[in-house]
Amino acid sequence: MSSLRNLQERFAVAMLDPQSAGSELNIRANGWDGGRRLGIYRNHIVNSFTEALRACYPVVDRLVGGGFFNHTARAYLRAYPSRSGDLREYGSAFAQFLEGFAPAKALAYLPDVARLEWARQLVYHASDTKPLELSALAAIAPEHHAQLRFMLNPAAQLLASPYPLLKIWEVNQADFRGDQAVDLGIGRARLLIIRRGLAIEMQALGSGEYVLLNKLAEGKTLAAAYKQAADLEPEFDLAEALKRHVLRQSLIGFYLR
Amino acid sequence: MKASAYSNGNPIPARAGIGLRYPHYEAVLERLPEIGWFEVHSENYFGAGGPPHHYLEQVRNRYPLSLHGVGLSLGSMDGINIRHLEQLKRLIVRFDPGLISEHLCWSSVGGRYLNDLLPLPYTEEALAHLVGRIAWVQDYLGRQILIENLSSYLEYAQSTMPEWEFLVEVSRRSGCGILLDVNNIYVSAKNHGFDAYAYIARVPGELVHEIHLAGYSVNRFLSHGNGSGEILIDTHSAPVAEEVWRLYRWTVDCIGRKPTLIEWDSELPPLDVLLNEAYRAERMLEADHVLAA
Repeated sequence: MSSLRNLQERFAVAMLDPQSAGSELNIRANGWDGGRRLGIYRNHIVNSFTEALRACYPVVDRLVGGGFFNHTARAYLRAYPSRSGDLREYGSAFAQFLEGFAPAKALAYLPDVARLEWARQLVYHASDTKPLELSALAAIAPEHHAQLRFMLNPAAQLLASPYPLLKIWEVNQADFRGDQAVDLGIGRARLLIIRRGLAIEMQALGSGEYVLLNKLAEGKTLAAAYKQAADLEPEFDLAEALKRHVLRQSLIGFYLR
Repeated sequence: MKASAYSNGNPIPARAGIGLRYPHYEAVLERLPEIGWFEVHSENYFGAGGPPHHYLEQVRNRYPLSLHGVGLSLGSMDGINIRHLEQLKRLIVRFDPGLISEHLCWSSVGGRYLNDLLPLPYTEEALAHLVGRIAWVQDYLGRQILIENLSSYLEYAQSTMPEWEFLVEVSRRSGCGILLDVNNIYVSAKNHGFDAYAYIARVPGELVHEIHLAGYSVNRFLSHGNGSGEILIDTHSAPVAEEVWRLYRWTVDCIGRKPTLIEWDSELPPLDVLLNEAYRAERMLEADHVLAA
């Protein structure tokens, strides 16, 4: 094995194991031993991963408190090491990790809060798009309408949860003034998280509307998506919902095939 | 291909610039300060769009831009991360940077990233590896890149040459330029007990295309018996230290006027603080110009 590869493998082990003295790395002592010198790197690496995660998940941080978050971040680093030179991608599995993280079991809504925060990250960095012209849609002959398929804005994410996520998010903003108590029984969340221009918006959707967008996002035809929406919400007004989501750029393209 | 054969984007003037961070975007666009150029961290723009691209495009329309990467892991024994390189290439095509830089470091092993700038042993093996990788990356991008010396907190006993020699050889053999970080030389010199002035004196000026300046922090260690004292940490969280300004003035005398960047990443102060640091660097560049004339 190359000595450079060997060095890098040993170095990585020493970064992840606080007990490691790194003696096999052959570091010049020069005042301090190698273990202390490696400790500077180890602290920096663990802190920068922790802060990168905190920057992505400020509401999770507030909900669990800084000390618990630090502990959680270290456990996440062990379970899901970074796979990218782009630190923005580091937190992608945090919700999944929290699902199985026993110390946070009491906060059953925590993984869904993390999903919401990750959805905000995704829409923030997603592609910019042009709006869909209603006139283009109007030019489609009515007999083809049922077979239309729509494209969801790439800067949009749909998220459903049994917990009132929007309320939890709002009361945990730094500038929120008022009662922070949230009644978890107030109902489930069906959210559209979308960036329009530079600003991220989070909208609560009706059950039919949520299913419609979700099925369209999966590539289903308008007829198939509508059927599922109407099954759930018999009064669902397809024309109104479709027009609104085209005008507000939730849907940015369509095609027939 | 020889690096000199590569085209350069919009050139970066031999003036002072500042590292542009997100909290300063609006102030920069509102005030359009008198400053030679801006530099950003490439990876912060690896997303497909959104506010980062929106603001960077407006800044780029008004100022020369340099892209400074932290995640390519050039010194790693892993294969080059093509997805990362492709994302960088997309940025280059879109923003036409005057300079593109990376670090004399490694940060990943076995596909696992430590996302830190980790030191290499200065050996023939590491040199040959790095030279091959840099040449390959330059061909892929169709651009020369600059390689920056690190601040470091350890040295490997197996190193067979000093850092300055390794850095100069990397540049000579691969055709890459050098991004000389004067603060990093100062920090490493203090931490390892070498002479920062002697280091810089041995770097040929024609290989240096950019200089970085930043502030460091001091960590004090208390220990039982052997090994108490202090170690300097390159935190980019403070003004440039006076000793580093002195070293910089001397560097400009030695190697000539080079684009010089003020970097500040954590505990980011108001824009004016960065601008004033840049103006101080610019006065030193101008003083050198007057001397030369």
